[in-house]
Amino acid sequence: MIIAKDVDLKYPDGTLGIRGVNLNIPDGSITYISGPSGSGKTSFLKLLIGIELPTSGSLTVSGYDMNNLSDKELRALRRNIGPIFQDFKLLDGRTVMDNVLIGMRFLNFSNKNMKEAALSSIERVGLGHKVKSLVDNLSYGERQRVAIARAVARKPSLIVADEPTGNLDRDNSLNILELLRSFSDNETTVIITTHATHLIEDEVNCTKIHVLNGEFRVEEAAYENNR
Amino acid sequence: MKTIVRNTGYFFKEIKTMIKLDFFSNLFSIISLGFILFILSLIIAGGWGTNYMIEAIEDEAEISVYYTKDSQVSTISEKIRSIDGVREVIEINAAEAKEEISEIMGEESRILELFEHNPFSPYIEVKIDLDFMDTVADEVKKIEGVELVRDNKEILDKLKGISSLANILGALLVIAVSVATLVITSHIIRQGIYMNKEQINTLRLLGAPEGFINLPFILEGIIMTILAGFLSMSLIFIVFKYISSKLTVSLPFLILPDAHDMLLGMGAINLILSLVLGLVGSLFGLKSTKK
Repeated sequence: MIIAKDVDLKYPDGTLGIRGVNLNIPDGSITYISGPSGSGKTSFLKLLIGIELPTSGSLTVSGYDMNNLSDKELRALRRNIGPIFQDFKLLDGRTVMDNVLIGMRFLNFSNKNMKEAALSSIERVGLGHKVKSLVDNLSYGERQRVAIARAVARKPSLIVADEPTGNLDRDNSLNILELLRSFSDNETTVIITTHATHLIEDEVNCTKIHVLNGEFRVEEAAYENNR
Repeated sequence: MKTIVRNTGYFFKEIKTMIKLDFFSNLFSIISLGFILFILSLIIAGGWGTNYMIEAIEDEAEISVYYTKDSQVSTISEKIRSIDGVREVIEINAAEAKEEISEIMGEESRILELFEHNPFSPYIEVKIDLDFMDTVADEVKKIEGVELVRDNKEILDKLKGISSLANILGALLVIAVSVATLVITSHIIRQGIYMNKEQINTLRLLGAPEGFINLPFILEGIIMTILAGFLSMSLIFIVFKYISSKLTVSLPFLILPDAHDMLLGMGAINLILSLVLGLVGSLFGLKSTKK
C-alpha cells in the first residue's frame, strides 16, 4: 500500500519534482503513471525507492514512513521492491544469470531456490536460451528483459518500472507492458511509468495517473471486474 | 554471516572480475607492494640477526688471560677459579691457540703457514657470567704473573650500541614502510570502488547490506597484499640463500641464526603483516570513499 498526502519534491537546485501529490495505491494493483518527459514520473518513483525524500507532505510505502526512514529500514524496504530502471543498471561483463542473481544473493533464498527462481524468471521473460550470455552482447530489448527478470526474481511486493517502453516500437512496448502486467497478483503491486499515453488507453483493471508539471491527476480507475 | 558463507563463491568471482578489470594496474600494485614488504622483511631480518648475534656473544662472555713466561699457569688458574662469577677456566697452549684461530679463519688459515714459528701465545680462557665481567677482569688483573687481560666487553658494548640504533632506525623504517603499504592498499581499494561505482550504486538500490557490498573490496585488498607477501618471501628466499652462502665463506666467525628458522619466521611475519596491512588498508580505502 502506498499512501501519499500532499507530497512535494523539490531538488536542491530548486527544480520542481512533484507537487501536492495525494494518492492511495492499494496492494496487488496495477498503476500506470503517464505524462510527458520531465513531468515528474521518475521523481515519484525515486521517492518510492527512497532515492529522494519528500520535501514536504507524508509518504508511506509498504508500511515504511519515507519521511523518517533509517538506513536499515531503507534497505529493508528496497529488498521488497523490484525496480526496473530506465537505464536498466545491468552489470557489464557478467552473464544474464549473474545479473539476475545479484539482486537475490542477500535475500532469504537458499542457493537452490535462488537459482531456480532466477532461471524461472529468465525463462518467463523469454531469455531462457541466453542464460549464460554476457549482457554486453544483448540487444536493447533483451537487456530490458534481463532488468525485468532481475526485478521479478526477487519476488518483491512492489515492482516499479521506469519508462519500460522508452525506446521500443509499438509492438514491443505492448509486449513489455503485457509481461509486466502478468506479474501483478494479490501480493504484488505494479507501478509503470510511460510517456506513451496512447499505449495504455485500452488498459483496464488498473489505475491510471496523468502527470503534468509535477501535478498528479488520478483518472477514474478503469476496472472491469472487482479486484 | 549466513549470507556471507552462502555467497563465498560469488565474492571470489567478483574479486577475480575486479582484478581482471584493471589487470595491469593491479599487477604493478602487487609488485610494488611486494618490494615494499621485501624491504620491510630485510629490516626485520637485519634486526633479528643483530639481536641474535648479541645474545650469542653474551652467552659466550669470556676473558682471555695472558701471563708472563716465568709464571706458574696452574697457580694462576687456581686463583682465577676462586673468583665469584667464574664459570670455567681452560688452559690453552700455543698450539691449541693456533688451531682455534685456524678453525675460525677457515680457508684463509693458509696464511698461518707462512709463519716459521707459531705466532700465538698460550693463554687461559675464562668463561664468566656477563654480569660479573668487570669485577672478574679487575680481580684477575691483580693476580701475580698476569700480563694482559682481554675481554670482549668493548665489542659487546659497541654491538649493543649499534643494535639499539639499528632497532630505533628499524622501527622508524617499519612504520614508514607500513604507512606506504597502507596508502597503496587503500588507493587500490579506492580505485576499485570508483571503477565499480555503478555496481555499488545498483546494489544499494536493490537493498544490499553495506557489508555485502564492501566485502569483495576488503577481500581484494587482503588477497593483493598476500600475493605481495608471497612475492616478498620469494625475494627474501633468494637473497638469504645468496647472503648466507657469501657470509659463511667470507666471514665464518659470524654467529648467524639458523637460516631455516629465520626463513620460517620471516614467512610467518610476512603473512601476518600482509594480512593486517591488507585489512587495515582496505578499511581505510572504503572509509575514504564514503567521505
